[in-house]
Parts: sequence; structure tokens; C-alpha cells
Amino acid sequence: MTEPVVVRIKDLRKSFGTLEVLKGVDMDVQRGEVVVILGPSGSGKSTLLRCVNQLEAPTGGEVWFEDIQVNHPDTNVNRVREKIGMVFQSFNLFPHLTAKGNVMLAQRKVLKRSKDDAERIAIEQLERVGLGDRVDYYPSQLSGGQQQRVAIARALAMDPHVMLFDEVTSALDPELVRGVLDVMKELAKAGMTMLVVTHEMGFARDVGTRVVFMDEGVIVEEGTPTEVFDNPQNERTKDFLGHIK
Amino acid sequence: MNDRTSGRPARIVAVALATLLMTVALAPVALAMDRARVTVDRPTGGQPTRFTFQAAVEPDAAVTSIDFLFEKGFGTEDISVRAVLLEGLQRIDAPYETEVLESGAVRLVFDEPVPAESNLFIEIYNVMTPITGGEYVLPVEYQAVLDDGRTELRTLDGLTFSYDTPPIEEAISRWMDEQAWVEAWNSVKFLDLFLKPQQIVRAIPLLFTGWLMSLALVLVAFPISIVTGLLTSFMKMAKIPPVRWIAAAYINVIRGTPLFLQIFIAFIGLRAAGFRVPDFVTAVAVLVFNSSAYLAEIFRAGIQSISKGQFEAASSLGMTYAQAMRFVIIPQTVKRVLPTTTSEFILLYKDTALLAAIGLFELMMKSKNFVALSGNLSAYVVAAGYYLIITIPLINVVSRLEAKLAQSEHGVAVTTSRKRGFLRPAKKDEALAEAAASQGAR
Repeated sequence: MTEPVVVRIKDLRKSFGTLEVLKGVDMDVQRGEVVVILGPSGSGKSTLLRCVNQLEAPTGGEVWFEDIQVNHPDTNVNRVREKIGMVFQSFNLFPHLTAKGNVMLAQRKVLKRSKDDAERIAIEQLERVGLGDRVDYYPSQLSGGQQQRVAIARALAMDPHVMLFDEVTSALDPELVRGVLDVMKELAKAGMTMLVVTHEMGFARDVGTRVVFMDEGVIVEEGTPTEVFDNPQNERTKDFLGHIK
Repeated sequence: MNDRTSGRPARIVAVALATLLMTVALAPVALAMDRARVTVDRPTGGQPTRFTFQAAVEPDAAVTSIDFLFEKGFGTEDISVRAVLLEGLQRIDAPYETEVLESGAVRLVFDEPVPAESNLFIEIYNVMTPITGGEYVLPVEYQAVLDDGRTELRTLDGLTFSYDTPPIEEAISRWMDEQAWVEAWNSVKFLDLFLKPQQIVRAIPLLFTGWLMSLALVLVAFPISIVTGLLTSFMKMAKIPPVRWIAAAYINVIRGTPLFLQIFIAFIGLRAAGFRVPDFVTAVAVLVFNSSAYLAEIFRAGIQSISKGQFEAASSLGMTYAQAMRFVIIPQTVKRVLPTTTSEFILLYKDTALLAAIGLFELMMKSKNFVALSGNLSAYVVAAGYYLIITIPLINVVSRLEAKLAQSEHGVAVTTSRKRGFLRPAKKDEALAEAAASQGAR
């Protein structure tokens, strides 16, 4: 394990008013790792993810992306975010743009790619997620699963160094989940560094290189999927996994 | 003393000279009446008109009869005539018989010949003039009895008169005066007061310029309001509190006071402060000032009704706040606020009527003046028509836009509940938008 660290989280704290959601989280994510974050709802896993790209501003601790401290006041957050891809539970596609338009927009405006380059890359990425025949469709004309795959393509088109997946299959009908998970699996196989918040235990076990179990704002247990799933040490982990099964 | 009277002899000489010159000038036509002229008392054609003929009988003859040879097109069926001799300030009756010849000519036969050098004054009432204006000639022939007892037919050729063609609405209105159905219609008091055809026909062209003024006001003011309203909405959402406060204060003051009052303050205030600003400019400024506040709230609600996820998605891709606004949020907002913005346009267009209070000649003012002059309220109905020409189609547009929006977004339109009502709370809109988004996911 000599791969460089892509994301480093040190004693991360986050409060919403008097409610402390993250109570000191430490985590290193090395290049090529697929870290699956599990935990009951309200355990702070989504907030942890959103602190990585500063959609939530931490109230304490440090978040590092490669050699940049993301939550330092002098850091241009936008420059960091363009290298951190994020996929949301509710897709958040831009409804006024086609699939291709969604994938092209930030390439053009943020990376300043030429129209031709952006379009070529958009089509490449949409083909990669299996939507080569849907490039000119508007989000409203696509199924949830297809929309989510467009959202993945949109993030990938920015050539991110790490991808954040925030419960990306939770809003999907069961029969549509498969397609999205397959895309993520392919991505992992291609060596993408990924932080995944999910309830898909099958995915965590098959694709995850490391599983992190969170509860009440702290990491309770972490290890390889085999360690955590087959031989959980902590009572809360056992309890949670027991409920899932 | 000397000075005062010195001018007198000179003046007398001048008058005498003028008289002499005139006599000399008229000498070649001494066979005809002196100083003959004919005038009409209506400035436009197509209506019963009084003709006035005035002339001095020549020194060598007395007049026994006179013919007025009206051209074709002049109606003389219903005429009446009055003829007198003017002597100083007195009018002396000259008894006569009147006859309308088959050709339409009017003949007067005097019971006693009108003596030489009399001032003949004849009025012919109710001559129907042709509608087309221009210069007309009225040939006059008369029987003159000379001193030696011979009679002679003399003519006056050069008598001209002129009038204008009436404007089309005037012609139609006069035509209507003659129609039985118009009379029947106007016999109903309500119809006569509010929907008198003659007045409506007259008011339409007269109010047209007022309508153009109202349109110009709103067409200049509204685009500016959109820009200033958007800026104000950004100020209202700004992170810096004082900026937000200024925007909020402005919006609240404007929305909390009548536009009528704002107009008075602007016009009277500017004048009192000694600024000489054209009324149109002041009017546009007040409308912009007023409308921006409403538009700012519409835009703010529209922007805030866009799901937070849209902004987060844009941010997560590295877009700046401005980029996210420009390329992601605003394009979606436009669609949502279009119905409400169109409604605001309708409101502003109607509100231009308030500018009548400070004397701007827009539609309302024009109709008010017309009513004051005619004593008939039909001009108000015409004004209503002019307002409705614009508002009815736009109201339909708004309904269609709202329906379309409801269809595409499951009812997440930013709507005002009633005129100048408070906007639906943004939170609720957000919740609805979220609901729509998750519904749309299926």
C-alpha cells in the first residue's frame, strides 16, 4: 500500500446548530481505493462526503485533497471541486439541458474546453455509461437509472481524481439499480478512487476495497469487506448488519 | 396737442385713396354687384350648412330676382332663406318668394326690386354640402332693372367658398346620425350613455395616441424593470447583510405604498426640487421603480424555488456562484417566472392609467378629456377596449404558460395568489420542487 493519499480527513467535526453530526472523523483514502461507508441514517456519512468537496463547511478539523487543504480559507474551492466528482441521490441533472448538454456544460465553462472537445468527451462518457443512444434526450425523457448514469458521466467528463457517490441508488426503482451499480463497478475496475455511501451490501462486499462503518458521527469500525461483514468486532456494527440481513 | 392731431389728415387721405383705388379696380366689372362674397359656416362638408351671401347692388340697377346656381351634389331640398337689406346697423326686410328650381338652383323673387346701392344680405339655411372638401364656385345670376327700364340678366362668376373633407370618423358619425337603428339604439338610456355609436366612432381615433403613449410607457419601463428587478433580487439574496437590508427596505416600501402616491411624490417632488425632467422620463422612472420591487420578489421566489440540488450539482462541478446562476439556475427560473412576470406586465400596463393624475396624455387622460368635452361616457368604454386589446391575449398567454409549466413540473409555478398578493413562501415552493423532482425520477 504505497499509493499516494488522495483524500485525507483529520479530526473532522461538523455541527448544525447545536446538533453535532460529525464528532471527529479521521480517514485516509489512497489512490485506487473504493471506500464504502455504511451506517444507519443520521450517522453522518452523507455529511462526511459533503465535507470532502465543501458542500458543507466543516466546523472543525482538516480536509485535504492531495496536497491542498480544502477547508483552508485561502483555498479556491472551485478549483478543487472540479477534480472531485460527485453523484447525488436525487441525480440533480440540469433539466433544461440534454444529456450531452449536461455533460458538456462544466467542461466548457470550468475547464474551458473547446466545443468540439467537450462534445467528443461528452459522447465518449455517455457511451461509457451505456447511453450512447440517448445523448440528445432531456432528463425528463430518461428513466431514473439513465438519469443517474448521465450524472456519473457528467462527473467523469471532468477527469476527477476521486469520485463521491452519495446514496446514488436510493431513489431508484429496484430494477434500475443494477445498471447504475454496473457502471460503478466498471469504474472501480478501471482504477478510479471512490468514496461510496450506500446501502447496497452486495456492492460493498464485491467492489469495496475497504468498508467503513459509521454511527453517531464517528467511525465505529473499518476493514476489508470480509473483515467487517464476516467478522464484525463492534456491537453496533453487528446490530446494523444483523438488521440488514 | 399738436402731436395728437397731426396724424389725422394723413389717415383721411389714405382712406380716400383706398376707396378711389377700389373703385378704379372694380370699374371694369361695374356691371355686376359690388363686394359680393359668399361664406359657409361649417368647416367640413357632408352636413347641412348655412350659406351667407352679401353684396352691394350696383349704382345703375335694381334687382328683381336672384338665382343661386348650386353645383350638382349640393342638396337644396330642405332649405330656408332669409334676405334683408343692411343699412348701417339696421336690417330692412326685403319681401321675397323663394323657389327651388329643378336644377337645384335657389331663386329669390323680390316683391319690390331691391334698389341700387343696397346692401343685400341673404342667408340660405340647410344646404346639404357634398362631403368632399375643396374650393367650390357658386355662380349667381340676377335680373337687373336699369334706369331706362330695360331688364338685363347679369352674372357673378368669381364667388368661391371652401371647406374641408371631414375626417372619416366624423363622416361615419354623421352618417350614423341619420340611421334609424342608431336612433333606436340610443333611445335606450344606458346604451346612449355608455355605448353611443357616434361617440365611440369619434373616440377611437382620438384615444389612439393615448393608447400609444400607454404602450410606449410600459414597453420602455418593463424591460428596464426586468434588469433592475433581477439585480434587486440578487441584492435581497446577498450574503452581506446591509446589502440585503437595503434591498428589503426598498422592496417593502414600494410594495407597501400605493403606486398613486409614488407617482405624486416623484412628479411633485422633482418639480419642487427644481429638476426639469420630461414627464415621460419621470413616468418611466416611477414605473420602473415600482415594478422592479415586484419583479425582484418574483425572481427571488423563482430562483429559490429551484431545488438546492441544482446549485450543489453545479458547485460540485467547480462552477462559480456566477456561473451556476447564469448557466443553471437562471435558465430554469425564466421558465418558472414567465407566467408571473407576464402578469406583472399586465398590471404595469393597466397602472399607466394612474399617470393621468399628473396630466400625462396617456389613454386614461385622453378618455377623461373626451368624456368631459362630450358629456358622454362612451369614451371610457373605448378606453376599456384599448386596454383589453393587450390584456386579454396576455391573460390567455399566462394561462397557457401556467398550464404548460404545471404539466412539465407537476405544478411548481411561482404564482401570486392575487393582485399584488404576497408570493407563496419559497420554502413551500422548494418542497414542491423536491417532490416534483423525485416524482420526475420515476
